[in-house]
Amino acid sequence: MELDNVTRPADQPQPLSDEDRCFLRELVETNRVDHHGRLSYMDIMFDLEHHYGNSLPGPVLGEVARLAETSPAQLNGFVTFYTMLSTTPRGKHVIRVCTSGPCHVSGSPAILSSLRRLLGVDIGETTPDGEFTLEGSSCLGICGVSPVLMIDDDAYGNLTADDLPRILDAKRSGGAQ
Amino acid sequence: MIRNQLLVCAGGACITSGEKSVKDVLVDELKKNGIEDEVQVIETGCMGACDLGPIVVVYPEGTFYQKVTVKNAGLIVNEHLVKGRTVGELLYTEPASEKRARTSGDIPFYTRQVKRVLRNCGAIDPLSIEEYIARDGYFALGKALEMAPDEIIRILLDSGLRGRGGAGFPTGLKWKAAREAAGSPKYVVCNGDEGDPGAFMDRSVLEGDPHSIIEAMAIAGYAIGAEKGYVYVRAEYPLAIERFEYAIGKAREYGFLGRSILGTGFNFDIEIRIGAGAFVCGEETALLRSIEGKRGTPSVKPPFPAQSGLWNKPTLINNVETYANIPQIITNGAEWFRSVGSTKSPGTKVFALAGNVQNTGLVEVPMGTTLRELVFEIGGGIPGGKKFKAAQTGGPSGGVITAEYLDMPIDFDTVKEIGTIMGSGGLIVLDEDSCMVDVAKFYLGFTVDESCGKCTPCREGTRQMYHMMERICDGNGRDGDIERLSKLADVIKDTSLCGLGQSAPNPVLSTIRFYEDEYRAHIYEKKCPSHVCKHLLTYSITPDKCVGCTACARQCPVHAITGEVKKIHVIDQSKCTKCGSCYESCRFGAIRKE
Repeated sequence: MELDNVTRPADQPQPLSDEDRCFLRELVETNRVDHHGRLSYMDIMFDLEHHYGNSLPGPVLGEVARLAETSPAQLNGFVTFYTMLSTTPRGKHVIRVCTSGPCHVSGSPAILSSLRRLLGVDIGETTPDGEFTLEGSSCLGICGVSPVLMIDDDAYGNLTADDLPRILDAKRSGGAQ
Repeated sequence: MIRNQLLVCAGGACITSGEKSVKDVLVDELKKNGIEDEVQVIETGCMGACDLGPIVVVYPEGTFYQKVTVKNAGLIVNEHLVKGRTVGELLYTEPASEKRARTSGDIPFYTRQVKRVLRNCGAIDPLSIEEYIARDGYFALGKALEMAPDEIIRILLDSGLRGRGGAGFPTGLKWKAAREAAGSPKYVVCNGDEGDPGAFMDRSVLEGDPHSIIEAMAIAGYAIGAEKGYVYVRAEYPLAIERFEYAIGKAREYGFLGRSILGTGFNFDIEIRIGAGAFVCGEETALLRSIEGKRGTPSVKPPFPAQSGLWNKPTLINNVETYANIPQIITNGAEWFRSVGSTKSPGTKVFALAGNVQNTGLVEVPMGTTLRELVFEIGGGIPGGKKFKAAQTGGPSGGVITAEYLDMPIDFDTVKEIGTIMGSGGLIVLDEDSCMVDVAKFYLGFTVDESCGKCTPCREGTRQMYHMMERICDGNGRDGDIERLSKLADVIKDTSLCGLGQSAPNPVLSTIRFYEDEYRAHIYEKKCPSHVCKHLLTYSITPDKCVGCTACARQCPVHAITGEVKKIHVIDQSKCTKCGSCYESCRFGAIRKE
């Protein structure tokens, strides 16, 4: 499901608007129907991240917990368990650099340090312009072209430090590969 | 009338190497030549030789073009298809003999493989259910639905198929237990949470042959009496999710999923559930909790999922590669399946070759193939004329196979005897430059990160082991560390809750077993024999080789190197951070690393 990307001002969770409530109710109900009564929380979370600028604001999770008839603590426990989900605001694009064995051996540390320099942020941080969040990732399963990274859903392989500016520029202007 | 087919590998790796733009060029050139109606362009799943991508194969000849780029893709149309001339520059050249290979049948990487699980990967368009059916797809489902469920399970038991996820538990027994379990409804689950770093066979099957998994799960549903299946795929594999979702839709449309499949009254449907970056979810009980919308923490077995799994109901859970074997076993029978492989581990196994080896990618070989065949004949040996040191199998849960076992047939039991595990099939080749202490530390660091924290031995124990390993690699190893590591490792193995913790010490134990001398060198001599552990290295300049070119001094980020032009340079050891940039920059081999 494609949802409009609504970017929120970072940091402060805003109270939910009627529009938000309506959106969340529909999202949870559609999910319930699609999954024959057994909610798929992960799908809901990914839809929410898509809608709320790659992160899950607290008030939104609270409302979802209420709609899903679970406790906010339970839902928060779920969300914080999975490294790909985030309750802190992230940039428009999430860069995931594969840090597992085969990529490590073929140069992911150098790719990471180049990205740190190019973006001026460390792992887990977001650039001041709100464009990119830099993260490490577990194996992306395209080890044949390591080192690799993934920005949003697009993967890039056989990386050298020289490729990075071009990839970042393309993402900034909204392109894919 | 179609005269040629162009198979373009659209596996995950080839896509990153520019497959989409290559395909666009091919389509454009076909149009320019007015032969777009005669030549069909088909995007397939992964062909396995990921380092040769993007790959284009021209049929009916089977000409295998590798490393195709936007610039030279046009030659395939203008030369091969229009003028009938093979494009020599795009053929694979065998490094040893310098011979050019025309078809994949001429490339050693392919000739030694036996493709069963991967038989459709790279051969058909994964988005086309018709192509799957044309390769006898869904025949097994039809056949199974005419059999009694017990008969299906009997065939599986006879086939001797063992779970390809790692432990090698007999699949037939799992199915039998799930069939006999009391409780309703029952569930069929496919474990596609392929977290083992460097293993990507499940990804390839989900992306390249999704219908084989759908078919197998439907057969499983019929055999155990379930109407509902879940496929758990990691969010790191967006393409797999997309193609599988599409395949489910097609299977429903064709009546292979849904109500009264093939008019038999048997109902079955499948849903995808997504994982989001938690390695422990590959453990079956953790995976089931994750599907339920909970934290993916494991639980004590028994009860096994077959008795009490998803929502406490009987659940059959197998991994992707295991399911991919099922339709062919049903179609061809148990005897056929046993015709390759070893007696106790029949069939084939897919390995993901990676690390210091010439040819990387996915290879499927009979169980019982030796490491020598895998690394040297299929993998093409070690690059740069270096020596083979060991192969790491089973990822963070496994250990190493050393050079003395190169001729040992590899199957579930033989690798276990030497202290490693088959795992999901990741095989990372290490050359003589690898430090085994560092390798073990790396894998242990992975487990520390991925431990879910539910049980103490895994959460705290692996962390303590990691601290010790770190100390050893930093040159602060103490007398008795090896014994302490081994003792703690045994406790963690014995007392952890799930497979993750129970196997976490394996990389350390296995490397201590075979490379205790390296551990001793680190601890007692404060030396890293392979010159990998940074803190145990010293860089110095050999006076007779230094020409005073100043290259190293200019590269040194901490200005630790002094010396005038054309005079011998010196490294100030108190300033040196051992980054190695002087070693990289010296063109005269004057920097000594020891």
